[in-house]
Parts: sequence; structure tokens; C-alpha cells
Amino acid sequence: MICSIFFFAPKVFSQGERVEALRAEFIKKKVEMNASESEKFWPVYNEYNDKVRALRRNVRQSFKKAPDNLTEKEAEDLYQLDMKSKQAEADVHKQYGDKIKGIIGIKKLALLRKAEEEFKEILVKSAKEN
Amino acid sequence: MDTKPDIYKVLMTLSALFLLLPKTEAQGSYDSLKLQLPKHYFKTVIVLDAYRKPEQSIPDTTDFLSKKLKSYGVNQFIFSLNTPIATFERPQYDSTQPKKNTHLLLTANYMRLQPIFDGIQTHSLVKTGIGIRLVVNSGKKGIWFIDTAPFVTRDATYANSPAEWRMANTIVYSHNKSEKFNWRIGITKSFMWGNRNYLPFIGLRFGRLNKTHLSIQIPRHISLNVPVNDKFTMSFYTKPQGGMWNFSNRDSVYYLGNASTFHFTRYEINTGFRADVRVNDFFNFYVALGFSTKNNITFYSEKENSKNKNVPYKKFFYEQDMPATGFFNLGLVFKFGKTKSYIGDKNIYDAIDLNNTVGGGDDNISNGNTQIPIAPKKATDLNLKSVQDLIDYNDF
Repeated sequence: MICSIFFFAPKVFSQGERVEALRAEFIKKKVEMNASESEKFWPVYNEYNDKVRALRRNVRQSFKKAPDNLTEKEAEDLYQLDMKSKQAEADVHKQYGDKIKGIIGIKKLALLRKAEEEFKEILVKSAKEN
Repeated sequence: MDTKPDIYKVLMTLSALFLLLPKTEAQGSYDSLKLQLPKHYFKTVIVLDAYRKPEQSIPDTTDFLSKKLKSYGVNQFIFSLNTPIATFERPQYDSTQPKKNTHLLLTANYMRLQPIFDGIQTHSLVKTGIGIRLVVNSGKKGIWFIDTAPFVTRDATYANSPAEWRMANTIVYSHNKSEKFNWRIGITKSFMWGNRNYLPFIGLRFGRLNKTHLSIQIPRHISLNVPVNDKFTMSFYTKPQGGMWNFSNRDSVYYLGNASTFHFTRYEINTGFRADVRVNDFFNFYVALGFSTKNNITFYSEKENSKNKNVPYKKFFYEQDMPATGFFNLGLVFKFGKTKSYIGDKNIYDAIDLNNTVGGGDDNISNGNTQIPIAPKKATDLNLKSVQDLIDYNDF
């Protein structure tokens, strides 16, 4: 029974690993890093993504959980959380941007951002088609 | 000279440094949100592995025991658990230093082996173990892997059958020359070849772990792995399988002495084809078919042998080589828990591969490296749920 739950309900479960793997392949193609850069870059970049993902997930889940008839205080708390999270995300971008710049240099950092935007476009296109 | 003011100055400066330092970190605002991030890089993995080899007549027809046993086949079931206990990151690393981490994992396994001898009752030989493994990732090229797997074997067919402790250990240094080439060297104490052996561990890998690669991991396996797509991987492999179990003498198999229990050992070389199917992030399964060769079984009594000083303790009272036959292997793999991201991190990929190469409890089964993600060829079949953290409403 357990097996059938896992086997027949794949859509229920996350397929995030495949997206991440696809993104990594895309970045590797677009930003040519040498072995030493790659060795340092991926752990830092992964940590950066974990933090951004956690921030966005937290805001999304908080809004999702909120009732439709929320009180003034609840609405204010949500607003504060949203603002704090956006500020934190900006801080994380800055902190890790500096770290990544230190590893791959400013030119490749620009290429990385370009690749991220291009990958996002692919995802949006894929999401629209599905 | 009064040194007190100087001491105060030093203390004041140090206090100011400690107070101000955390504020210089840009992630103050992030920390204030107290978000929970995954702690480990390894998932909790449970493997249920079933193995079957059909019965064959024992070719020797002259020996008393060969005539008594008549035939030999194998039914085997393994439950294997591998879970991270603790992960230690290098504190306060900066981008000039590679990210170093150490992983402590717990392994647990249960194996039930039924050697089918037509002439005697079917025995259920059980091996139960719990072990610890340590994976030290230097962040540069090297990874250290240390595994200790104590286990108990007993003949579970009879309630009062005595148990015996044994221990399998492995220590390996793995060097990632690049993503595409890796070598390993170490030593392993294993019962895979029927008896206790101290064997050198020599490994070579050509190709990336998430692409087609040839992996030569002696004495564990040699395999050619071909990911056909992100859901399906084919492997051609050869590997030994075996062990040593306590065997009750209720059937009077050991007729030369009065031992209540003796040892049964077996080994074989399995060569075949394996298909790994990744259903989703949480579940995959594998099916393997092939030929079992170099089949060997032995019975010996350590207790009785020890009474006779002229006889080496491993002297067999029965040994038989069996002809080649087919085998069938099926495995279900369940993966639990969220992990830190490790995409593209060759050292974590290698750590995962090492952890799977040295299967828990000296059973030499592998869950197929399915924690290492393989990129789909196109982004066409990605569902919206899996990309919602990456795209924003305004991106549409």
C-alpha cells in the first residue's frame, strides 16, 4: 500500500530536484567556470538558494494560512513579515553576491545573473504550456 | 607603572569587537526571521531488497553431506536504513575557503537469508546490525569515509539458537581529481567473500556521477552506469555477494562432532543488468537480472576445530562449488527528509556515492545513487509546484 502511494501519486510529491538539476546544467553551460571556481562556487550558491527559498516559502505559507476574515493585527503582522522578508532577501542577495563575486569575478557574476534570468524565462514558458 | 588602564582599554576594545562583529554580517535581518533550514545533506533512505536464486542440484553425488542436502538455492530479504544524525559545517567560512563539512550517519540493517537445501528443513539465518559512519568532506579534493558496522547473526529457525557478534569496517580516502575522474584507496574488513577478510579498497571512476560513468570499486563492484533520462538509469555490473551465518545443527548436518551450532558461509559473483526507476524525489525502485557465478558454500565448526590444535579453525567439514545460475533482484527505495542543496557540488555527490557504494551492514547492496539528481533533457514536463520558489507572479 505504501509503495502504491509513492508510485501512483508522483504529482503530489515535489519534483524540485529535477528543476534544480536542470538549472545547474544551464548555469554550467552559460557560465564557464574552471575547476577551482566551480569547487567553491556551488556550495556557496546552494546555500544562497536555500536561504532565498526559505524566505519565499515562509511568506507564501504565512499568507496561505491566513484566514479571509483576518483582523487588523493579523494583517499588520503579515505586512511586517512580508517587508522583513523582502529586506532579508535583499541582504542575502548582497551578502552572497559579494561572496560569489569573490569566487568567480564580476564578469562571470553578470553572466550568472543573465543565465538565471534566461532560465526563469524557460520555466515561465514551460509553466504556461503546462 | 600602572597597567590597569591598559587592561581596561584592551577589555573595552575586545568587548566592542564582540558586540559589533555580528552586526557587520549582512544576514542580521535574515537571522531575525528565525527560519528553519534543513540540517543535513543526506536523506534518510530505507531500502527493501529481495534476492532470489533458483534451486540447483548439488553436482557432487559421492559425499555424504552432498547426498543429504540434495540441492541449493537462495531466498534473501534485506531491510536497510541509512540516516544522518549530525552535520558539522566549517564555522564562519568565507568565499576564499572551500566549504568543509562532516557528516555522521547511522546505519541499521536486517537480513534474512534462507539457503534452500532440499534434503533438510529450510533455515532462516538472520543478520541484524547497527552501525555508524563518518564522512569528512575537506571541501577541496578529498573525502574521508569511515564505517563501522557491528552485527549479530543467528539461526532464527530455532528460538534458542545462539547468536554471534561480528564486525565489518571500512576506511576509504576518496580523491576527486575532477568531476569526471575520481580515485579511492582504503581498506575494508568484510565477510562478503564468505569468511572474514581484510581487503584493500581500490576505486576508480571515469565520468560524472550524474552522467554515463564507469565505476571500478574493488572489492565492492564494477559497474557501467548509463542514465537514459532523468527517470531511468541502466547499469551493467558485477559484484560479490555473500557472508557468514550461524547455522543450527538440529538437522545433524555436522555429524563429526556434537556442536549445536556451526558456521555457514557463502559467496557468489553476480553479473547482470539493472534498471533504476526514479518515480519521484521520495521513491525509486530497481530490478536486476543476471548470472550468478563462482558459487561457493561451506560449513565448518569453529568450536570443534578449536579442540583439535592440528586443524586450522577455518577447516571446512563441507565445501561445495555450485555451477552458474540466474538470479533476480528487486529493490524498493524510500527517501525521506529535506536536505540542504548540493546541486553541482562534486564532493557531496562523491560522499553520497561512497555512502551507497559501501552498503550498510556489509550486505553490498546499493540504492542506486538516486539522491544525485539528473537533469531532464527539456523543461517541458515540470509542474508549477516545483518552480514556485524560483519564479514570481510578475515574471509571467
